[in-house]
Amino acid sequence: MIELNKITKKFTLHNQGKTNILVFNNLNLKINPGEIVALTGPSGVGKSSILKMIYGNYVFQSGQIKINNHNIDHTYPRNIIELRKNIIGYVSQFLRVIPRVPTIEIVMEPLLEINSDQDEVREKAEKILLKLNIDKNLWNLSPLTFSGGEQQRVNVARGLIRNYPCLLLDEPTASLDSVNKDIVLNLINEKKDSGSSIIGIFHDEYSRKYLNAREIDITKIPDAK
Amino acid sequence: MQPILSVHNLNKYYGNQVGCKNMNLTLYPGEVVGVVGESGSGKTTFINSISGNLIPDSGKILIETGNETIDFLEISESLKRLLIRTELAFVHQNPRDGLRLDVSAGGNISERLMSIGQRNYGNIRQTIFKWLDKVEIDKSRVDDFPRTFSGGMLQRLQIAKNLVTSPKIIFMDEPTGGLDVSVQAKILDLLRKLVRELNLSVVIVSHDLAVIRLLADKIIVMKNGEAVESGLCDQVLDDPQHSYTQLLVSSVLQV
Repeated sequence: MIELNKITKKFTLHNQGKTNILVFNNLNLKINPGEIVALTGPSGVGKSSILKMIYGNYVFQSGQIKINNHNIDHTYPRNIIELRKNIIGYVSQFLRVIPRVPTIEIVMEPLLEINSDQDEVREKAEKILLKLNIDKNLWNLSPLTFSGGEQQRVNVARGLIRNYPCLLLDEPTASLDSVNKDIVLNLINEKKDSGSSIIGIFHDEYSRKYLNAREIDITKIPDAK
Repeated sequence: MQPILSVHNLNKYYGNQVGCKNMNLTLYPGEVVGVVGESGSGKTTFINSISGNLIPDSGKILIETGNETIDFLEISESLKRLLIRTELAFVHQNPRDGLRLDVSAGGNISERLMSIGQRNYGNIRQTIFKWLDKVEIDKSRVDDFPRTFSGGMLQRLQIAKNLVTSPKIIFMDEPTGGLDVSVQAKILDLLRKLVRELNLSVVIVSHDLAVIRLLADKIIVMKNGEAVESGLCDQVLDDPQHSYTQLLVSSVLQV
């Protein structure tokens, strides 16, 4: 379960004339287990900011964010690190490529945090890479030189190899062809059916409908802005 | 879980000049804390003051060994020396500061092993080979002097020399400074692997935000000897609150 209560978020740009940008004034949101929420609204309205606040990348000025009843509290970074290890998964739009690290190891990494059996983890990583149509020949290469779609699928594999109780998805299907898009959407549906609370940004209506997502237009949430 | 290292209100002055002041740090097992800031901001003074290289003027440094909590600034000099050789390790920016250049590569790695009482030549030799392999230095170079090594190899040798006794806390001062990018990538990859495999706890100083983002869980931003902002690494870099951190983050060149 993900809950946002009375969130205020603003950016203060100290070096650009102390400009204040108010993103949210009073944002309330709740995502139940086994539910997918799709955030909609024009670009710049704060969709990614919501995901980043939940994941702890962005601070908020007031209000409360609860993940399975744990507070996101920046005075205790250790707690957020633990939440990320155990409860919240995040699939960003772009893969942060680590030089020299082969694809298979990038995918294995999140699972190795909780399972030290290398062979078992490798097997799971191979399985999900196969599912996502990443050619076997690429597994031992760094994804640095892969195509956009391939990189995105590696990123999805890394994010979905585990079963996180809460899952954040930032346009996970943006640069995929229709076949691979359906594969990714099916994987997301599996996570939903296993009881994850999922919130995401999907720029195409097809994906939102396929996932049977509850759509929330941020501009239409009362008092949010 | 207990922090393995905690630093409270640490101050170090050079005469009237501030080295670092009011510094705090909490390091948990398996965690990496990055210290960033411009040159002259006190990063190196801070890491030297908490690792036994410098004696701070005031403050408290507590090290958790598993059995007891050690007050690092209050213990005897001999116990401190022992800790520095066993539980702590320091990787210098310039590997020549951390290695003995007139002793073979293998000799450098074996030094800490022998200082904790290992005497069996065969076992020591085996451990040396294991570590050369881990840091990707060819076994055939074991008896060569470090002065015949390249900069990147020297840095990897220094890392092996320091990690061979499985120290609990590792301090690193710009471990990839002065190396070309391909060698830097190799060392970063190595460090990331070792941190996870050996559950290392690391304090790393760097002026390179990309290096810190790649390695660190938490971050401390320093300016004029003080911490201006600290917290979760990607939060401080993605949503910096202090004007200096905002300046620092926005000054990074995009490739």
